[in-house]
Amino acid sequence: MKISFPYMGTTILYKKLLEILGHEVIMPPRPTRKTFDLGVKYSPEFACFPLKVITGTYIEALEKGAEVLVTSGGHGPCRAGFYHEVHERVLKNIGYDNEIIVFDALKDNFFKVLSSFFKIKANNSFAKVKEAIKTVYKMSYSLDKLEKEVTKRRAYEVTKGEFTTAWRKIKELYDNKVFTSEDVEKVELEAYELLNSIKIKEIPEQEKIRIGIVGEIYVVMEPSVNMEIEETLNSLGVEVERSQYLSEWIEFTLVPSRYSKSHEYEILKKADKWLEIGIGGHAKQSVGFIVDFYDRGFDGIIQLMPFGCLPELVAQSIIPKMSNELGIPVLSLSIDEQIGNANVQTRLEAFLDLVKSIKFEKQNKSNIISLQDIINRNRIANRTKEGIL
Amino acid sequence: MKSIFLGIDVGSVSMNIVAIDDNAEVIFDLYTRTNGQPLEVIKKGLFQLRDVLPSTYKVAGVGTTGSGRQLAGVMVGADIVKNEITAHAMATTFFIPNARTIFEIGGQDSKLIILENGIVTDFAMNTVCAAGTGSFLDHQSERLGVPIEEFGDLALTAKRNVRIAGRCTVFAESDMIAKQQYGFSKPEIINGLCEALVRNYINNLGRGKRLQPPYVFQGGVAANKGIKAAFEREINDKVIVPKYYNVMGAVGVALLAREYIKETGYQSNFRGHEAVELDFEPSAFECSGCSNYCEVIKVEVNNKTVAMWGDRCGKWTNSIGQVG
Repeated sequence: MKISFPYMGTTILYKKLLEILGHEVIMPPRPTRKTFDLGVKYSPEFACFPLKVITGTYIEALEKGAEVLVTSGGHGPCRAGFYHEVHERVLKNIGYDNEIIVFDALKDNFFKVLSSFFKIKANNSFAKVKEAIKTVYKMSYSLDKLEKEVTKRRAYEVTKGEFTTAWRKIKELYDNKVFTSEDVEKVELEAYELLNSIKIKEIPEQEKIRIGIVGEIYVVMEPSVNMEIEETLNSLGVEVERSQYLSEWIEFTLVPSRYSKSHEYEILKKADKWLEIGIGGHAKQSVGFIVDFYDRGFDGIIQLMPFGCLPELVAQSIIPKMSNELGIPVLSLSIDEQIGNANVQTRLEAFLDLVKSIKFEKQNKSNIISLQDIINRNRIANRTKEGIL
Repeated sequence: MKSIFLGIDVGSVSMNIVAIDDNAEVIFDLYTRTNGQPLEVIKKGLFQLRDVLPSTYKVAGVGTTGSGRQLAGVMVGADIVKNEITAHAMATTFFIPNARTIFEIGGQDSKLIILENGIVTDFAMNTVCAAGTGSFLDHQSERLGVPIEEFGDLALTAKRNVRIAGRCTVFAESDMIAKQQYGFSKPEIINGLCEALVRNYINNLGRGKRLQPPYVFQGGVAANKGIKAAFEREINDKVIVPKYYNVMGAVGVALLAREYIKETGYQSNFRGHEAVELDFEPSAFECSGCSNYCEVIKVEVNNKTVAMWGDRCGKWTNSIGQVG
């Protein structure tokens, strides 16, 4: 059975899980312009951007020979939980009669999950499945830890592109060398060696800028649809951390709450003051993470949302009040296939100028320091990065 | 030898050059339409500047801004390349230090900048649509057969108010024709258009933001008295249009260049008026190194590549090596 899946974040995890269980995996291609075009062409016009990208991904994976698609379902009023139904129909309309195996949340539909589970389990023993899950679970934590290091250190890399190359190598390492849960530690050590060998600039602690990214999970997690926003921000000299990571998602969505040690429960509590109830999607998480990033001393927040995403639009309307009260700047970007790079670049640059001037003004309580001085200090630091020759 | 600092703002509709002296006095300012040929216009502008300036002046620093800032930066040898939001804020706080709200309307984008103690604390920029920008008015002026320069004065003579749907340039036309049938005069229609633009602007950009006086209105569209009046009616307060309203971006980046050079003591990278005559040939190609398919921009002079950008991995940018 040739299996494929949607492309989101560190996809080698899904690949690994299926491979350990002896399935033949058709790796979906990383979303590109072509994927967007296919998705936009065949999806309902008013569906959100992630649904369209995934449609495109499915078509490309099926063209590559996939027979079965595996995806997650989920719950809540956001349409994401219903994606697979729509996708099945869209694919049927263009002539693909393939099965989509859905994993809903365990607490929603136990028996459906069970039946999906047995399809994936195939002839493997329970012990083997347990080991496979354990391996991938450990791997997700390990990879996310490393990715956080990358998006932190890349801001200060001496030679542009070194960390991005290293990150790609690290993912290959995990792909080629991890087969059991014991392998994870060994490979992790190797990965850290790789990261530590990269030269970085020394920047005084008080001049470091940290940006938190919040928003809808797909556009936050998948760099190919958010124009590599983390890398772009890093190249402008700031550290980045996201609200969503795959390990967190697994912990929160797939692990029964009794056993889950998810950080997300705490995040949701932090959101209570601004948004009492869950309104679907990741709106409450977005709000909670803004508070969390603020508590952790981040300097600015960027909210990413698919164009027209209702939960995130609600979050966006709460943001001005939060931003005012907490005193942390927030930039909202809405993403779809129409988005222009130049416009985003300009807004990111201006936003970082704003974040920096606010930060440096706070440090200089005398308030004598002018906008000119601040901009200039940053200019000097960024001089080489803006491609002035 | 006196030092001057240049600011060049390459926008979608206009290209502006400003020269300031050591004391930040504006000694030269030029606003020209690009007509889709930014490089040619920059060349002409720099020659114009050379002809006007006495030979005792020396260019000590250059900054570029606007959507064409990178290419212009390579062409003239800029010391700093800055986004237009920061540049505009810089200029405004220089002339009007206590400004709290900046309305900036250019050819294809409009910005709203909120300041506190001279520091930008919030901003908004139009994203998906150019309704509420200069181009919208340009199109309507063509349709009505009224030169854009006369728009503002005509709008002020309107006797009645008429509401025109201004969200979409295309639908605005059908609405305009409908309103003409109702017997509204040209000035009234024009005034309606000005109000539609302001309404769009406030609805799109001002959403959720607290606007506080003093208000400053700049950008090419600030030449239009009708829009200024419409803003004043909308916010119920006085709106200041600064003297160099149409070249504020260029002024801002010239100020930034001046500060930058003063602080670092660097020599300017300025290529000189003559060097600009070299043939700069920008071209773009799609890199096939990975699935990103980045659109890489390459600038050549005499078949020699002088600059490349647009690649995510730095493969091409780094291939030029350290220049300047």
